[in-house]
Order: sequence, then structure tokens, then C-alpha cells
Amino acid sequence: MPNIAVFIEQRDGAFKKVAWQMISQARKLADANGGEVWGVLLGGDAAAAAALAGKHGAHRLFAAADGLERYDSERYGTALAAFCRAQNPDLVLIGATAMGRDLGPTAAAKLGCACVSDAIGLKFEGGAWEVRRPVFAGKCFVDVVPKTAPAIVAIRPNAFMAADGGGAAAPLASFDAGQAQAAPKAVVREIVSADGGRVELTEADIVVSGGRGIKGPENYALIEDLAAALNAAAGASRAVVDAGWVDYSHQVGQTGKTVGPNLYIACGISGAIQHLAGMSSSKCIVAINKDAAAPIFKVADYGLVGDLFEVLPELTKAVRGIRG
Amino acid sequence: MKIAVCVKQVPDSETRINLAAPAAKLDQTGFTRVLNPYDAYAVEEAVRIKEARGGEITAITVGPVTVKETLKKDCLAVGCDKAIIVDDPLLAGADEAAIAEVLCAVLKREAYDLILFGIKAIDDDSGQIGILVAEKLGLPHVSTITKLELGEGSLTAHREIEGGREIVDCPLPAVLTCQKGLNEPRLPSLPNIMKAGMKPMQIVTCADLGVAPPASLVEIRQYSPPPARGACRLITADDAAAAARELARVLNEEAKVI
Repeated sequence: MPNIAVFIEQRDGAFKKVAWQMISQARKLADANGGEVWGVLLGGDAAAAAALAGKHGAHRLFAAADGLERYDSERYGTALAAFCRAQNPDLVLIGATAMGRDLGPTAAAKLGCACVSDAIGLKFEGGAWEVRRPVFAGKCFVDVVPKTAPAIVAIRPNAFMAADGGGAAAPLASFDAGQAQAAPKAVVREIVSADGGRVELTEADIVVSGGRGIKGPENYALIEDLAAALNAAAGASRAVVDAGWVDYSHQVGQTGKTVGPNLYIACGISGAIQHLAGMSSSKCIVAINKDAAAPIFKVADYGLVGDLFEVLPELTKAVRGIRG
Repeated sequence: MKIAVCVKQVPDSETRINLAAPAAKLDQTGFTRVLNPYDAYAVEEAVRIKEARGGEITAITVGPVTVKETLKKDCLAVGCDKAIIVDDPLLAGADEAAIAEVLCAVLKREAYDLILFGIKAIDDDSGQIGILVAEKLGLPHVSTITKLELGEGSLTAHREIEGGREIVDCPLPAVLTCQKGLNEPRLPSLPNIMKAGMKPMQIVTCADLGVAPPASLVEIRQYSPPPARGACRLITADDAAAAARELARVLNEEAKVI
């Protein structure tokens, strides 16, 4: 029975929505192949997680809280490995987030099991899992088959759609998280927020990015204004980051963040291959550029050839009109 | 301070992958190969630590000996003292777990205070090796660091997370994975590239390390090109304002994405 465990990430009690996306997809696979979907929660509000996990299709929720209120790789890695040893899931899905990218290999090494990073597709065929992931930042895909059970697979946020199946709260079970209460060697002393309320690039539904065409740091506000109107994250090309106009945490591309939102709006970005690599899996791409020959138009679904200094304020206004 | 920096040679980020149809292997001949850009932050950080406190830096890589030039120019010429290359045909197609195992065999030969990695290599985009090595060696790790302060026998690192950062205190020895923003890597000078040729570069096999080539836990089935995108629909209007309004309308009513 290929039971699938899904790690439900929480920080300060707030759940990452990639958990519900993974549970929804796991439920589809479980319905087709047999097996159950189990939520796994470390720290946080188990009752709230059980309600949301059940709604998206989880059969059960396993929760442990002792010493696990705040993430650190050692305690969480120990707890997740202990869960796997006790419950023997066939597959463990983790969001490919800052936490998940750290936790996956940590737990995998403890279990001696396979770990696959940043997956965007998952199939169960002939008794084996086949995982699709982009390599070369999306310039091509590779399908891999983990050879261990469990296998840990990190799923890129927004790769799957969350589906509210209207299920009741998942029945709760606790589990023994092993030595997770022991003091870790590496201690998270403090968490500092960059700037409050900013929408995070890798999990945003919409991303608005600016390139060299914005001409200077003072004009990045045009990008941020449109992003704010769309409740979107603000991104940037490498040129803009390397020029020091915005912080590197905004960079989209092969040496920055890889994003796959529903809508990606590239403003004044020519579309160098290193940038395209980071955003070409976006579902809908809009390019705004005054150079009609810019390569960005080759990957765009919608293009607007024009001066972004004229277009963006009007677009922001029009979006505000639509979204009220 | 004894520092190890584990690096990888990767195709340049401008590389085009020409793959028309699914294939069991990716033809990588003719690719321009460079030091993985994230590894450059690890090398630079190691060099800065050495400049401040003294010590020795060993650059370590797993890969064919064609990596030599990259190691010389981007590691030895900017301040690493020696290099170790694990070159073994038995490691062709090895996955993350296997490579981590091999790196551990190299790292165990000396007592390093600090082991640095880039956050990920830009070819397989996996980002696991540093963390796997830390776990296998029983060392603490801090991944995705953008700032590092060394104390006596300990360190404080800033770890990038969504919308902020964690400040992590960690004892030495430790493993760190380095993210853009940590530092600005220097470029090698021509005289230093010349001198780097004199620095020791050791080439070893798994047998030399006394380990059997480790098994891979993940099997590659096939590579495929990403799905082709449809043609671009150009939005046109009399002026920029009208075009912007039309774009907003299309995104709302037709594409239904806003």
C-alpha cells in the first residue's frame, strides 16, 4: 500500500499552502493506487492543521509538538525520521521551501533513503514512483525513480493545485518524535523579518519583475506598485540585482530564485537565457518591453511593445480598477 | 583554521540545452564549463577567513580531471592552498547520496574546522550535498547563509528564509552552504593564475580513498525538453494607456489570471 506522508510546514502557527497542494495531489494518487494520505505536523496547532488537511483529502494527521515549536534541522530531522521509522510511509512529500530544502536531505541522510529536490510532477507506475523535476533551472526536465522506501520528495510550491474536497477534519494521532527534545548543536537564536507583509517570490501566485529597462533603483517603485495592486511578489533580473538596485533576494533566474506562478509579468527584461531559466515554468507570461525583438517575447503568452514608464502606471491603475 | 571548500564544475548559465526529444542521457559535449557560481561564494568566504585568521584551504571536487583548469583559476588562484579531485569512472551517473558519501571519504582524511559548499549546483539544481555530508559526518550545518561571523570555536550565520532570515549559533566544526549575498567573489589575477600552477593538486579514485563506489539511491529514467509555449499574442492600441487597459482586460477576462 503506497501510503503518502505529507509534511505540513508551519512557522509561528501559519501553515504554508504548499502543504495543501501536496495533500490534494497525494489524495488523487492514493485514490488511483490505493493507500492513504497522512499529514505530518511538527509544532503548531494540530486541530487547525487536521481541519485543513482533512478538507484537502488527508486520511489522518500525525502530530508531535515537544521541542518542535520552531524549526531547526536537527530536531525536525530527528522527528521526521522517527515518524518514518514508526509508520513506514512509502513516500514523504515536503514543500521545496527554505525549511523543506533543509529538512529533506537532513531526514534522508538519517534514514539512508533517497531524496529528490524541487519536483514538479509525480506518477505511480508499475509499483514505483516516477518524479519529474526541472534541471538546469528549467532548461530541461528529468524523470527519476527513487529506489528506496520511504523516498523523500520536495515539491515546488504551486506545482500542484490545492483542491478543497470538503472532507471532515483528519483524525489526529500523536507519534514519538524520538530524541527531538534534545538540545540541537545549531541553535536558531532569532528570526528577523525582512519587511513586513512582503509577498514571497517562490510561493506567490503572481510575480512582477523588473529588468534593466527600469533604468535606475528609484524606478523599481513602478514594479512594486503593480505588484502591490496584484498582491504579487516583486522580482528582478540579475542585471538589476548586480547593479545594486534591489536586494539579491528579489533575483529570478538560474542564479536566483526559480518561480512558477500563475502569472509572471516581465517589465523591461530582455529575456537572457539565465533569466528565462528561472521563470519559464510560469503558467502565463506577460512581457512588457520597448524592444519588439527582445527574446522575452518568444516565451511570453502576451506581449506589449511599449515604454514601461508609460505602460506600468496605467496598468497599475487598470488593475486597481478591476480588483477594486 | 582548516577549511574545506567542496566545489563543482558546471555548464555556464548561458548554456543552451539542445534536446528535441526525450533521451536517456543528456549530451553535454561542447558546453562551456565554469565553477558553479554558488561555490564561488564558498571559496571567497574561505579566503576571507584565512586572510583574517590564517589557516589552510583545501578545495575538493568530484568529477573528471577536466575540472583542473577551473580549480586552478577559480580556487587556487584566489587563495585556496591545495586541491583534491576525485576522478573515478565508476562514479559516472552517481546521485547526490553517492557523491556525498565520496566527499565524506575525502573529508574524513583531515580534521577540518569548517566545510563550505555553495547552496546548490546550477546544473542539477539539487542543493542536497552539503546537508547530506554534514549528517553523514555527524556535524551541525547551517544552509543558505548570507552572513557569517566566526567566534572562538563557534560561528553565527544568517540563514535566508522566506521573507527574512534566521540567525543561527553553531559550534565548530560545522558545514555551511553559501548563498548569493554572502560576499562578492574576487577575480583571480594573471600572476596568481600562473602561481596557482605550483600549488598541489591531488587526483584520487575511490580505491585510493579506501571506499567502494557508493550506490545511487535515485535512478535517472529520462531527460525531456520542457513543453513548448504557444505563440505570443501582442496587445496593441492607439497609445500606452489604452494598451495597458487592454492588457489588464485580457488578463482578467480571457486568461483569467488577475
